[in-house]
Amino acid sequence: MTTSFKDRSLLAVIGDEDSITGLLLAGIGHINEKHEKNFLIVDSKTQISAIENAFETFTGRQDIAILLINQHIAEKIRPLVDRYQNAFPALLEIPSKDHPYDPSKDSVLKRVQKLFGE
Amino acid sequence: MEALFFNVSTGFLEGIVRGYKAGLLTQAHYSNLTQCETLEDFRTQLSTTDYGNFLANEPSPVSTSTIAEKATQVLVDQFNFLRTNAVEPLSKFFDYITYAYMIDNVVLLITGTLHERDTHELLERCHPLGVFDTLPALCVATNVEELYHTALVETPLAPYFRECLSAADLDALNIEIIRNTLYKAYLEDFYNFCASLGSPTSDIMHQILSFEADRRAINITINSFGTDLSKERRAKLFPTIGRLFPEGNNNLARADDVEQARAAVDYIQEYRSFFETSTQSSAQNNSGLDGYDDHGSASHLEDRFFAQEVHLNKLAFLQQFSYAVFYSYIKLKEQEIRSLTWIAECIAQNNRERIGEYIGTF
Amino acid sequence: MSGTGPRENIFPTRMALTNMKLRLKGAQTGHSLLAKKRDALTTRFRSILRKVDEAKRKMGRVMQLASFSLAEVTYATGDISYLVQEQAKTATFRVKARQENVSGVVLPAFDVDRVAGSDFNLTGLGRGGQQVLRAKEVYAKAVETLVELASLQTAFTILDEVIRATNRRVNAIEHVVIPRLENTVKYILSELDEMDREEFFRLKKVQGKKKRDAEKAEAAKMIEAGAAGEADGEVKMETPSTTEQASDLLNDKDGDVIF
Repeated sequence: MTTSFKDRSLLAVIGDEDSITGLLLAGIGHINEKHEKNFLIVDSKTQISAIENAFETFTGRQDIAILLINQHIAEKIRPLVDRYQNAFPALLEIPSKDHPYDPSKDSVLKRVQKLFGE
Repeated sequence: MEALFFNVSTGFLEGIVRGYKAGLLTQAHYSNLTQCETLEDFRTQLSTTDYGNFLANEPSPVSTSTIAEKATQVLVDQFNFLRTNAVEPLSKFFDYITYAYMIDNVVLLITGTLHERDTHELLERCHPLGVFDTLPALCVATNVEELYHTALVETPLAPYFRECLSAADLDALNIEIIRNTLYKAYLEDFYNFCASLGSPTSDIMHQILSFEADRRAINITINSFGTDLSKERRAKLFPTIGRLFPEGNNNLARADDVEQARAAVDYIQEYRSFFETSTQSSAQNNSGLDGYDDHGSASHLEDRFFAQEVHLNKLAFLQQFSYAVFYSYIKLKEQEIRSLTWIAECIAQNNRERIGEYIGTF
Repeated sequence: MSGTGPRENIFPTRMALTNMKLRLKGAQTGHSLLAKKRDALTTRFRSILRKVDEAKRKMGRVMQLASFSLAEVTYATGDISYLVQEQAKTATFRVKARQENVSGVVLPAFDVDRVAGSDFNLTGLGRGGQQVLRAKEVYAKAVETLVELASLQTAFTILDEVIRATNRRVNAIEHVVIPRLENTVKYILSELDEMDREEFFRLKKVQGKKKRDAEKAEAAKMIEAGAAGEADGEVKMETPSTTEQASDLLNDKDGDVIF
């Protein structure tokens, strides 16, 4: 783990169209030689399994340092997200335009709150 | 002469469009809408206007994009009604209006083709006003070369393509340059077409189109600062019409920063005031947006352009026996949809300070 | 006999005792060191925890601002999402991992590594380019916040794990290793004491026996060598008694084992 994180330099996103557009504008978009994107656009037609696949792929890739995911999408694959404990890539739940941030749902923040509560 | 027979072929439609115009939201509507707390309220408020219950069938958490989409649909329906009832040369005039949207759609498909995407799914992203029968034909093309030839044969935009671009250009040039090249050709063509329609249409339309051309020239200039767009290429994108042509355009082509761009357009009263007031208001406004004064002033400039466009389009309604009302109505309606989306967006994102920054029509 | 708790399986010798004592000492030092580390980490953890909490809330606001700037873009230019998606090629916004050392724990922190790209420079050229530019900036700022948060969160996850491990170790040393070593030491001590006592007892016994034997021999000698000179007999008696004692000791031990 400590040896590989040096190579990790990309950010990946799973999000709705608006979030992705904005983040791509910031310049995080990357398409590698194998035509693999580092972002997945989720709309109402996207299958849960597709999201799960993308999640698995992104968390499995060696060049991704941070994975951003819209909170309302994380909700859809919550068990998978909650089970994810690795430090790399760091998983970050971000709010989207139509879904303001709800700290009580964040899996990391849930742990934080638990630790504070104790 | 023109006026004598105008009503024979176009009187009905002019009546219709003036009726539509009366249905545009008024200041009172806008102030009601800006008072809304939630999008639900917003929907209720809208249902008392001419939009009626266009959102009635939407599932309850309405998103702003749905509102924009549905509102555009209303516009498209109205437009199609007008268009199907039009005869030459008004129908041709309507065609010209759609070309602007067609350019966007074709450019969208070019982008898709360049990146070897399945362009069929792009069709639903196309602007409904710019959809033409042979648009899906463009999806057949798998490479840029093919697309270029298909575009030449199948689209009404063929002359623009032929004159301005070669197949190789599609590949090599930035898509935005292609878009603006096409748009420039379109504006000039439309301008000439309007000239052929004679007064009073040509008078009003020339005013509006000149403004549009100038706006593009100024925008392109300002937006190209700090990019790799060369000055020669920039100059080529300026429409050869408008009040800034040719002197202002030449100056704009040489400008290196906003200050010089302002100097270039200084000799036209209205444009000067855009820059003047925009710096003042940005000074007042930058408390909320620290570090963005420069962009802030530019986006105010954009707002002023919109306001001026609305103003010109409103003037069009003061004249009778002109086709310009149709164009103006479409533009006003578009602006109204933009304003609605803006207000909805402000409500949805709880950003009430800026809710007043829409541009009302009437 | 040898303490109540679990202990090392070891032969109770003085050598082992010394070893055990050394190990116990080591364990105690280790314990205090680990406890210190844990405290240091926990302090750090607490501060990170607070920061994570804060940053997460801040992110909510920042992202809202960002999506609002996108709304401005949409207002001015219309929908640009597809164009943007297609124009994405190489990331210009990357992160660089950096190491930070907190009491021996390597915490990675991400640094924004941004190269000025011209990817979307011409987007909105004809209309709304300034808004696009601005949205770009706002989003870049937002992503910076996100990266910062990601560093914090990674630190949080790693620290959480390390603290857990350290805690486990501290507890293990405190509740398992140290008592066990102490038990062993106690056991060895008690065994050694026991052996001492046995030895003492045996020696006493040997002495007693020896005394008895000596008396017996004395008596026999007295009886046997009644005519012989007293001084001579005394000298004679002393030499065999030492040899006798050695063999006796062996016999004794054997007898003891049988006993």
